[in-house]
Formats: sequence, structure tokens, C-alpha cells
Amino acid sequence: MSEYLGRARKGVAAAFGFLAGFDYYWRKIGHAFVTLISVTTITFVLFRLMPGNPAQAMRAQFEAQLEGSGQAADPEILDQMVQVHTGFDPSQPIYMQYFEYVRDIVLYQDFGQSIQYGDPVFDILFRAMPWSVFISVYGLALGYSTNILLGAAMAYKEGSRFDGTMTVVATFLNSIPYYVGALLFLAFFAHDLGWFPSGGRYDTSIEAGLNPAFMASIVHHGALPIMSSFIVGFGGGALAMRGNSVRILGADYLRVARLRGIGSVRIATRYVARNAILPLYTQMMIGIAAVFSSSVVLEYIFTYPGVGWYTFDAINMRDYPLLMGSFLFFTIVTLVGILLAEFTYGIVDPRAGSGGENESY
Amino acid sequence: MQYPNTHPNDATQMTQSLSNQEFQDGDPESILEVRDLDVIFDMDRGESRVLDGVSFDVHRDEMLGIVGESGSGKSMFASALLNAVVDPGRAGGEVIYDDPDAGPVDVLSLSEDQLESFRWEEVAMVFQGAMSSFNPTMKIDEHFEETIQAHGKPMDERMAHARDLLADLYLDPDRVLGSYPHELSGGMKQRALIALSLVLDPEVLVMDEPTAALDLLMQRSIMNLLDTLQAEYDLTIVFITHDLPLVAGLADRLAVMYAFEFVEYGPSEAVIRDAAHPYTRALLKSVPSVDAALEDMNPIEGESPDPVDTPAGCSYHPRCPLADEQCVAEDPDYHDVGEGRGAACFHWERSSEAVDYELGVDPVVPDEPSRAAHGDEETVISLEDLEVHFDQSGFIDRLFDQDATVRAVDGVDLEIAENEVVALVGESGCGKTTLGKTAIGLQEPTVGTVRYRGHDVWEAKRGEGEIDHDRIRRALQIVHQDPGSSLNPTRTVRTSLAAPLKRWRPDLNSSDRETVVHNLLERVGMKPAEDYALRFPHQLSGGEKQRVVLLRALLMSPDLILADEAVSALDVSLRVEMMELMLSLQELFDTSYLFISHDFANARYLAEKSGGRIGIMYLGNLVEIGPAEEIIHDPKHPYTKVLRWATPPLDPDAAREARETEPPIREIDIPDPTDPPSGCPFHTRCPEAREVCREREPELMGSEGEASLAACFREDDDHAYWESDPIVEESTLENTS
Repeated sequence: MSEYLGRARKGVAAAFGFLAGFDYYWRKIGHAFVTLISVTTITFVLFRLMPGNPAQAMRAQFEAQLEGSGQAADPEILDQMVQVHTGFDPSQPIYMQYFEYVRDIVLYQDFGQSIQYGDPVFDILFRAMPWSVFISVYGLALGYSTNILLGAAMAYKEGSRFDGTMTVVATFLNSIPYYVGALLFLAFFAHDLGWFPSGGRYDTSIEAGLNPAFMASIVHHGALPIMSSFIVGFGGGALAMRGNSVRILGADYLRVARLRGIGSVRIATRYVARNAILPLYTQMMIGIAAVFSSSVVLEYIFTYPGVGWYTFDAINMRDYPLLMGSFLFFTIVTLVGILLAEFTYGIVDPRAGSGGENESY
Repeated sequence: MQYPNTHPNDATQMTQSLSNQEFQDGDPESILEVRDLDVIFDMDRGESRVLDGVSFDVHRDEMLGIVGESGSGKSMFASALLNAVVDPGRAGGEVIYDDPDAGPVDVLSLSEDQLESFRWEEVAMVFQGAMSSFNPTMKIDEHFEETIQAHGKPMDERMAHARDLLADLYLDPDRVLGSYPHELSGGMKQRALIALSLVLDPEVLVMDEPTAALDLLMQRSIMNLLDTLQAEYDLTIVFITHDLPLVAGLADRLAVMYAFEFVEYGPSEAVIRDAAHPYTRALLKSVPSVDAALEDMNPIEGESPDPVDTPAGCSYHPRCPLADEQCVAEDPDYHDVGEGRGAACFHWERSSEAVDYELGVDPVVPDEPSRAAHGDEETVISLEDLEVHFDQSGFIDRLFDQDATVRAVDGVDLEIAENEVVALVGESGCGKTTLGKTAIGLQEPTVGTVRYRGHDVWEAKRGEGEIDHDRIRRALQIVHQDPGSSLNPTRTVRTSLAAPLKRWRPDLNSSDRETVVHNLLERVGMKPAEDYALRFPHQLSGGEKQRVVLLRALLMSPDLILADEAVSALDVSLRVEMMELMLSLQELFDTSYLFISHDFANARYLAEKSGGRIGIMYLGNLVEIGPAEEIIHDPKHPYTKVLRWATPPLDPDAAREARETEPPIREIDIPDPTDPPSGCPFHTRCPEAREVCREREPELMGSEGEASLAACFREDDDHAYWESDPIVEESTLENTS
């Protein structure tokens, strides 16, 4: 028995030691959690305090409906109807409403019900999410790989005509807003040339499933939105990568590596690219947030029903529960992106360690 | 060690210049023969010739020391030996490498592929910046592996060799190989780099200022290790440095570089004892060392020539006391000045009369400490029981009671009187800069008080004292190590210097201020002052910038100036000049100096000349303090003795003696400052440590008839130390813990 206890104690101690070793990570998760709570609270309170807030608007709507049908508007019944639709009781004080809203989210994944569609908000967003992730992540990945390759090539040919031209091109592309690019793409590739469809997520005439035709139609429909979000991540990154690479190319360790006879491929990848990417890495992860927020406008332009499209729609239709839900979605995506960047940065750059360790005194 | 044989000399040739023909005869003793080597950079203002027709032989299995000031072309020579001159430089001439297996090859005409295998397999190189010679995102072992792989050598055999090398360099192979570069200290990185350069068993190792960024003690330890490595692996070492004393005692031969060519070469002892070239003699005179008489140290007048516009004839003639028409008209060849020696000077026979120097003058320790015995002077700054801690522990560390506090200063008492010079010496990370900053009120002490003329500085800062804080702030000034970054690049010298006057001397109008600035500039030798006053910092040399910074601090009429490594960034030959200036300005402005240096020789110069004190710091403790003469010539604390050992003497006899004595230290690396040893902080490295040193911490104490204090039990004849058992050596390898 005592042996068993001893082993258990050792196990617990080891687990604590293990977890304590991740002090930095716990702290960062804590920060993210605090941010999430604050954002939820602030959006909730803002919506509630807005003149013509959703509950009032809805109440007025029902009142009108009831009066229209000749019934007397009983305030209690009205409150109940509002509660059914929004998930909170307007007669309760605001902190109780907030508490119930959060409780419903945490316990039942209940974000309320969309006024416009009548479906639970969670279901709508959950269905739309993969599509948004699809176009955003591909746009981002494409943008950044191009940035890195182009920046490296520009640095390698520093001062050449290629370098000069590409600097101008990158600056130009960087200064075009993505929605202007999206509109031009739509006008040119979809309407004039007809190469790509002007809206939708896939061809509804094809049977949905894991068949090549359906896959191809997804790519076909996604191409223009992806190209547009590519512009969001493009341009500035190439110039930053160029600057970093030029700096690394002058580093002492590169000279030593050349003298040691290390092959040029290894030097280009393991020495130059690896070190030049470091500063871009955090920027890229935070860029995820920019790409998702840009999807609000992009998806609307391309009539691509992702989270962004529903958000825009919810704004127009005053569908507050849906709007609130998609805000939460964007916040979570951004926070996860930043957390990922923070956690993986130690792998990408071994010097980062657990923050502030190498402070000199 | 025996000097390798050199060219056979005819008696008749003694005074004739060595003909070029003789150089051309392949010498079986030579492993590298350099012929008419030029390195040229095309610049906007003309062709910059950074190596000018150099012909030189490197002998097999020798340690060749190449000495020169910065910008003399010595690094270019190193790069050219590997045909690795950086773009857009072009190397011309011949570098013949005598391959023991394949016969002679011209390195400069090898193809890229041939060069790739030539470098590192035959000739390897170690650079100055070990900090930046490793890829920061790769572990040390990957550097070794990729090198072995790139050269197609058997991996296991070579990695085993790498482990042997690391162990030879007093490193723990497992720990070092598994680390990222940033996880190692500077000294460890430098040694790992040396191991990396030797992993393919090259014949020649070229080292370009490999120890310049390191502490003296680490430099010295590495030099000793090099000596061992050379014998063990039959290496030829070309060691390039600006620091003559460092290499003088270890190198077999010395070659002195001036203005892009060698002016003198020969067996090291002969060159040091009786240098033939006036430049070598002047250089020997200008280098601060611990054993030369202070009166003998003099800066070299004038400036090194510009590579675009080297003087015609002998490049040294504008600075040379012996120069005549012949020197201006003709470029001198090497004159044979002795067994295996050459000097590029027409008048080498007269050089000893013109430039006189002496080595290793026996110090005359004055019976009575000169100015150090003050007492009548008022105390400017007094530090009482000072502690400064930096907390590095995170929340969880605290939860689990893990103490990650660095005690940068751990209980120091110090008083600085008016017009006194106190020099603090110690290895990097010993807390000397923190102590200095605390003394001038830049860093708040964790425990203890800092008093300025009896007033608590931090009370005054909070507005609770009787004295205005502005007065204290004005009285305590600082001069940083890097003069470049302490001057505003967009302000002229005059604006920079007038700023303090505007603030503190409102009675002066702008023309008065200009007069003051001009007078001062002239006084520090920046003439014409009107011209210098209008220059921007980038138009000044390093020494000139440092002078402006010093003047700016002095214009506040401070009582104390913290000079933090103020001369370390300057060229060796300029240091004496700068310190001389500091001392003369001290008298003019009536100020005290707290001089911080890792270099014993500099501290000695400044403190001994002004009759000041030297304090030795180790891991936040002041372990010994006293008059400069006593500390230098009669060190008490074992750590002071170590530092003294690490400061190489110039005198060949003393150097040989120092070289033969084992380093008086048990471990090369400093213990982790977050986990300092118990008891006496030095006991982990102290050769005299006994069991009692583990448990109890010694206080500063003096012994009879001596003015200096040392924190060591050995000072007390009745201490329990003498009955205690010596600490038994646990392992021969450091870093194993």
C-alpha cells in the first residue's frame, strides 16, 4: 500500500514538474483566455447597450406581428418569445443575461438562434467554417510561399534588374486593397472571360462526395477568392524577406559555412532561408487574423457562403445572435493563430526559448 | 621549443638585402609560401590596396604570430591564405601550399571545387566572431556533421575525433554537441569553433583575432590550449592579433605588419628583445603591459596610412624618427638583421638608438603609497553593504521555490575620494558594470545605500533628501565603451559639447560657449578646433569620438566619472594616449574616475600612474582592493593571482616562465551566476581552496604593513583554514556538472 502511495506521489510530482516546465505556455494560454473573455464581454455589453439593441428590436418586431394579427401584446409572452429566439431573457438584469449566455455556450454549445434562418447559430457557423478555412488558409499559404521564394530570389540577385522590377511590383501589389483586386478578378475572369464562376462554393448539379468532379468544382469555385486573399498576404512580405535574406547573406556564419565547403543547396535552405524566415513567422501567424477578417468582404463579393458571408449578411439583417457568434469565431481563430505562433516559435528559433532567458545584465 | 631552421645565411649577406631569388627557392621547411601577394578593392575614391606585394613563408609546424594594428591588412593576409578574400576584393600573386602528399599547389589558381576540398582539409580558419560563426538555428553537432559530410569523410571516425578535440579543449563533448550556439558562453563557443576547424585534421590553422572578444583569462587559457593542440596534432598555426603581449610568449616567430606589408619578422624572442624596425620598437613601447615601466609607455605619433593613398617609399616614413630622403624615395627591401630575421628598413642598425624601450623593468614598489594614502580628501561616493539583484525567475519558479536571482553585486563596500582613480577589474559577468552604474545612481540597489557626499542618492531622487537630485545627477557622469553609439549622429561636435554648457552655465553666451569648446578641443589634440567642431560623429575616428564623449562628460564639472571600458574599443597603440588624456583632464577638471576594465594592463596604467586603487571583482564580490602597485606586484587573493597570470608579460624570460607554470586555476569557466557557490565564491576554481572555503565566506581583511585588503582566509595566519583539508579534485573536466 505504502509503495503504491509512494509511486502515486512520485507520479503526481513528475506531472507537476512536467507542467511547470511549460510555465511559458501556460502563461500564454492564460493571456489568450483573458483576451477571449474580455472580447466576449465587451461585444455582449456593446450589443446590449446599443440603442435599438437586438432584444428590443425583436420585441418590437413581435409586438408588431402580434398586433397585426389582432392579438393583445402580453409583455410576458413577448419576453418569452424573445428568450426563445435569442437565448436570453430581456427582463433579467444584464449580468444575469451575460451569465446565462456564457453558461449556454460553455455547457451546451448554444450560441442562440439565428433570427433570420431560425437555425442554431452554432450549426450555421459550423457548416460554413470549413469553407472559410479552405479559402483563407490556401490564400495565406500561397501568399507566403510566394513571398519567401520571391524575397529570397530578390536577395540573391540583389541590385539586379530583376530585383529592381520585383521591388516595384511587390510595392504596387502591396498597395492594392484586396477588395479592389477581388472586384477586378470578378469582372475580368468571371464575367469577361467566364473562366471561373462568379459565386457559390461548388457546382450544385454535381453529387456531393469524394468524387474528382466535385473536388474539381470546389477548386474551381474557390480559385478567385483564394487569389484575392493571396493578395492580402502578398507584397510586403516579399520585401521583408528580401531584407532579411540580404542581412543573413552578410552574416559571419555564412562565410564560415562556405569556407567549410558546405553545399550551396544546404546553405540556401538551412542557413539563409531558415534564418531569414524567422522574423516573418510571427507576422504570418498574426496574418491569419487579417485573412479571416478580409473574408467578410471577400466572401460577400464572391457570394461564397463561408463565415464571412454569414457575418456580412447578419449585419445587414440585424441578426444579432449570428453576428455575436461569428465575432466569437473570429476572436478564437485569431487567438489560436497567435498562440500557435508563440508555441511553435521556440521550435523555429531555438534562441527564443521560454522568453527572457538570455537577458544580459 | 626549438626555432625552425630558416634560410641558410652567408656571412657576406648579412647586411645585404635578401634577394627575391632566394625567396623563390622552394624551402623544404615552408608549408605556405606567399609571393608578391596583392589584395585590391576598387573603391569610389580609387584603388584600395589592402595588401601590397607581400612575400612571406610560413614554416611547417610553427606558431607564427602576425601582429598589427587594425586596418594594417592582417585579416586580408589570413583570408588570402585560403583564397577567401571577400568580394569585391581581388587577390593577385601566388600562395604556394606545399601539400605533404601531392606536392606544391598555388592556392590562388585552384578551381572552386578544388578550393572546397582544400579549405578545411588542408588549411582551416577560425574567425574573431565566434558568437556569429555558428548558425543560430543549428545545434553544434550538426555543424560538425555537415562539415564531415560535405568533405565525404567517414562520419563515425571524424565525430570521435571531434569529441577528442572538445575534451582536449576542456569541454564536455556531450553537452556542447547537443547545445545550440546561444546556450554556450563566448569562451565555450570559441573553443567549439577551434574544434570545428580541426575536425578534418588540417595541416595549417589560420586564426584571425580568435580571442579578441573574450576575457583575458579565457584568452590566456585558450592560448595555452593551442600550444598543447599544436604539439598533439602537428599543426602549423598562423595567429593574427593586435595584441602583441598575448602572442609574444607563445609564438615561435613573429611577423609585424604595418601599412599592408610585413615590416619585420623573426624568431619571437629576438624580435621582442631587440626589434630592428622602428615601427616594431614604437609598437612595443606603446602597448600597455603589466611589467614595463610606466614612463616607457608612449603612443606612436601620427596615424596609420590610408590604403588608397599609401606614402611612397617606406610607408612608415611619415611617422619615423629615422626617415631621410632615401626612405621617401625608395621602398626598402628586407634587410637581414640576424638569424632568420628581416626588417624592411634602411636604417635598422640605428633604430635602437632612435627608439629606446626596455622590457620587464623590475618594479620599484614605493615604500609609502603615494597619492593613494589620502584621508584629507573628502569622500565623494560611498557604497555601504551594497547588493543588486536581478530576478529572473518566473511565476512557476517562485511557486516551486526555485531561486533564479542573479546577485550581480553581492555585498560591496567602497568609498571613492575626491580626485581618486579606482579601477575595477574582473571577468565579464562579475558585476563590475552593475556596481559602477549603481555607484553613479543609474541602478537602484536592492540592499544598501549609495551616498554622495553623505547624502543618500536614492532618497534625493525620491525628493526626500536635503540635497537637490539635479546636483547629484550632474556630479556623477558616465563614459561608455562604444563612443560611436553615445554621440548623436545628427549633431556636430560643437552642438554635442555645447549642450551641457547651455544647461549648467547659463551665464555664458553662445560665443563664450564656442570659445570654451574650441579651447577644449585643442587641448585634447583635435586641431584645428574650428574644423573639428563642425564635424559630425561619423567624420571622426574612434579615438576622437571617445575624446569628445569624455569632454562632454567633463563639461558637466562632475565629481565622479564612470568610465566603463572606456579604452577597450580603441586600438592598442591609442589606449595609452587616451588614458594619458584622461589623467591630464582629471587634474584640469578636478574629478574622480571609476574605471572599469577587463584588462589588467589598462587598469594598472591608469591606477598606478595616478596613485589610485585597483579593485578586483568576482561574482558580485570585491575580493581584493588596494593601491595599484601592491595589487600588480604583490597580489594576495588567489583570483588576483589568476588575473595577473592571465595578463601576459612582454619580457620573453617572464613570458616563458608564465608559459611553463600551470594556470593557477582549477576550472576555466565561471560558475552559473544564478547558482553561485556556497562559502567563498571562488572556491570552485581556486587552487588553494580547502574544505572551510566551501562553508564560510571570507571578509575583506588586511595584513600588517600592507594597504590592500583581500577577502581570503589565507590572509589570517590563525584562521581555521590552515587546519582544513584541501578540496579534492573531483574531475579534470569542467562543465560536467
